[in-house]
Amino acid sequence: MNIIQQLKAAFPEGSVIADTEQCAPYECDGLSAYREKPLAVVLPSSIEEVKTALQICKQNQVPVITRGSGTGLAGGALPLKDGIVLGLSKMNKILKIDPLARTAVLQPGVRNISVSQAVESYGLYYAPDPSSQVACSIGGNVAENSGGVHCLKYGLTVHNVLSITVIDMDGYVSVLDEKDDGIDLLALMNGSEGLLGVIVEVKVKLLPKPDTAQLVMAGFDTVTECADAVTSVLEQGIIPAGLEMMDRFSIKAAEEYAKVGYPLDAEALLLCEVDGSFDQVKVDTQRITEILKSGGATTIRVSQNEAERIALWQGRKNAFPAVGRFSPDYYCMDGTIPRKQLAFVLEQIDALSKKYQLEVANVFHAGDGNLHPLILYDANKPGELQQTEKFGGEILKLCLDVGGTITGEHGVGVEKLDSMCHQFPEPELKIFHAIKQVFDDSGLLNPGKAIPTLHRCAEVGQMHVHNNNLPFPELERF
Amino acid sequence: MTDLFTQHLSEQIQQATIDKKILQVTGSKSKVPLSADTQEVCMLEHAGIVNYEPSELVVTVKSGTKLTDLTAVLAERNQMLAFEPPNYGDSTIGGTYACALTGPSRPFRGVLRDFVLGTKMVDGLGQPLTFGGQMIKNVAGYDVSRMMAGSKGSMAVITELSLKVMPLVEEVTYYKVMPEAEAILLMNKMAGTTLPLSGCAYYECKFFYRVFGEHPKQDATPCDNSIWLILNPFQPKLEANQKLWRVDTEGPAPSIPHTLAVGMCGQRRWVLSDEAPAPYSTLWQSYFVPRDRDTPPVAKLKKGLKNVFDPHHVFKAL
Repeated sequence: MNIIQQLKAAFPEGSVIADTEQCAPYECDGLSAYREKPLAVVLPSSIEEVKTALQICKQNQVPVITRGSGTGLAGGALPLKDGIVLGLSKMNKILKIDPLARTAVLQPGVRNISVSQAVESYGLYYAPDPSSQVACSIGGNVAENSGGVHCLKYGLTVHNVLSITVIDMDGYVSVLDEKDDGIDLLALMNGSEGLLGVIVEVKVKLLPKPDTAQLVMAGFDTVTECADAVTSVLEQGIIPAGLEMMDRFSIKAAEEYAKVGYPLDAEALLLCEVDGSFDQVKVDTQRITEILKSGGATTIRVSQNEAERIALWQGRKNAFPAVGRFSPDYYCMDGTIPRKQLAFVLEQIDALSKKYQLEVANVFHAGDGNLHPLILYDANKPGELQQTEKFGGEILKLCLDVGGTITGEHGVGVEKLDSMCHQFPEPELKIFHAIKQVFDDSGLLNPGKAIPTLHRCAEVGQMHVHNNNLPFPELERF
Repeated sequence: MTDLFTQHLSEQIQQATIDKKILQVTGSKSKVPLSADTQEVCMLEHAGIVNYEPSELVVTVKSGTKLTDLTAVLAERNQMLAFEPPNYGDSTIGGTYACALTGPSRPFRGVLRDFVLGTKMVDGLGQPLTFGGQMIKNVAGYDVSRMMAGSKGSMAVITELSLKVMPLVEEVTYYKVMPEAEAILLMNKMAGTTLPLSGCAYYECKFFYRVFGEHPKQDATPCDNSIWLILNPFQPKLEANQKLWRVDTEGPAPSIPHTLAVGMCGQRRWVLSDEAPAPYSTLWQSYFVPRDRDTPPVAKLKKGLKNVFDPHHVFKAL
């Protein structure tokens, strides 16, 4: 029997997909420029079935690409043509909610947003909120160490996961807990992009839902003034729940798209949200308004109610599709930089934009230094895609040069293998490969992703969006 | 560029490998005593702030820096280590990281490794390595910097740490007299509300809780903040035959007999017992007693990782 026959024999009908048409939805993740048809897709519905699938793959020496909802933007769940996709979407049950301990135990296929929805009646929520949260799964969140708009205050996935259950290629099940002594395996698993084990259960921390949130919007004449104002807010001891910046191009695009009243004469726009108890939010909003005023804000608007707060966010949350309307294609970068370098980096990006004759819009998670430049291009123009990729590569290099990193939240996947070679020297890369070997000596778990081989750092690709057709267009991207 | 200290460290590690000596990395030896069969690598001289950017919320510090020195520098700029590390007496940041120690604020602000952004280290081959960086968001490569928190110097010598820092907040403590079981229930109920808590404990018949920032008037007795120093680090006087256990558990878990103190919203219990009173228990006399409760697959992974960083086993095992 070949592997497909073995899988079909071991699984109930409908759990193994091997024909080309039905495999199509699994050919790519959110990085849709890269596609590959896998040997088959297996959809287990229990830990036992995951073990069975891994055992069969191990016996046949067939690679396993674990997949949650497939919303990742770096090609981490891109199939291999000689590999199996292990789709965990059927394992989507919330196994336990403990409102008193403020924890929830989840199967890996549970969607991020449904955790908060399920615990809302207890006045609790799950804090990490990646922009794809209506679709992305909790297992995928752990694999990518997903962030979100609120991570400056509430942390990334790694800060909100208390334990996980993982299975290795030999079928051993291990529980890795925050309470464990010694080497922190739980921390290591967060962001390991499916290379170290298959996550089959996740216990998360739940937080009390803030009483209220308020948004302060401010326009500035220069990017430097805006960045300095953010610095002042943080130096005054306020940690806002959200801190977003947009440049002139993004402001214009977002305003034309969402019509929310962004100041079109501003060079930079700041959206600063505070949340917490009513008293604290009132005090913080007042202090922030004063800081921004004395920092040279030319316009300031404070949301007066929930409807206005949500409306003001709409422009920012739609910035990607809004910018996308100006060009057939765009390419989204995900570098991080120290905030003090923002004005310099934007200046350099502007110079590169002139050099490559490609327009760029910039949105920036100002609190944590995560910059998303969107390069506009037209894939139908000969050579423009290659120019765009070169431009993008230069931006990531620039991020590294000023002390930042090549990926803040999208992960490496297949997308940034090249840039990983810039970020890490050979000894560190060797260590990464050795770590992989410890967890997966067969090398069958998501091989070729996340860590470039020493000899070949050449697989490149980014989030290419053609004719504004984002993969998963229904998801917000910010 | 490798600095002189790192260069010297590399040579020391390589020489120890040749001489078949076991190296033990130490700071102030406030938590783990020096073993007789090891050669000491003392980090106390390797101290000082490398870079501090208050507005970026990041400090980079040499691992031999004393906690008191580091927190004083941060306090000047109204910032703090939000994981509230216990000071066992001249404890260093490197030793605190090596033992992964977090204070009473853990349920509300997170554990030590949550605040680790990057590390520089020298491994068992004498290689200088850098992982992570100074950025709050960074998902490039495996998170080695967080993984090594708690590895007690068994894998590499950590020379520098980059840590996320947070604004210093004004805190006030209140207490209520009540039975332990009732207090454990109440602290967990309160932690599910929007009251801005940063500590919940039970000690000597009193439920203590700490609040920061704007908050409503409390129906409890205000007191000073000294209780948090009594509990962090918790070092009660013991009789010669008494064994003290540090127990980590679910916050609302039931009371454990012979508990001296409950911290971290019930997630930490200090218990007198001859045997381990619960699964996650560490015998805790004046120092850590290593425990071995890993399942065989987990133990195999940890052993494998130790071999990745220290293939010749030049560093003292956990």
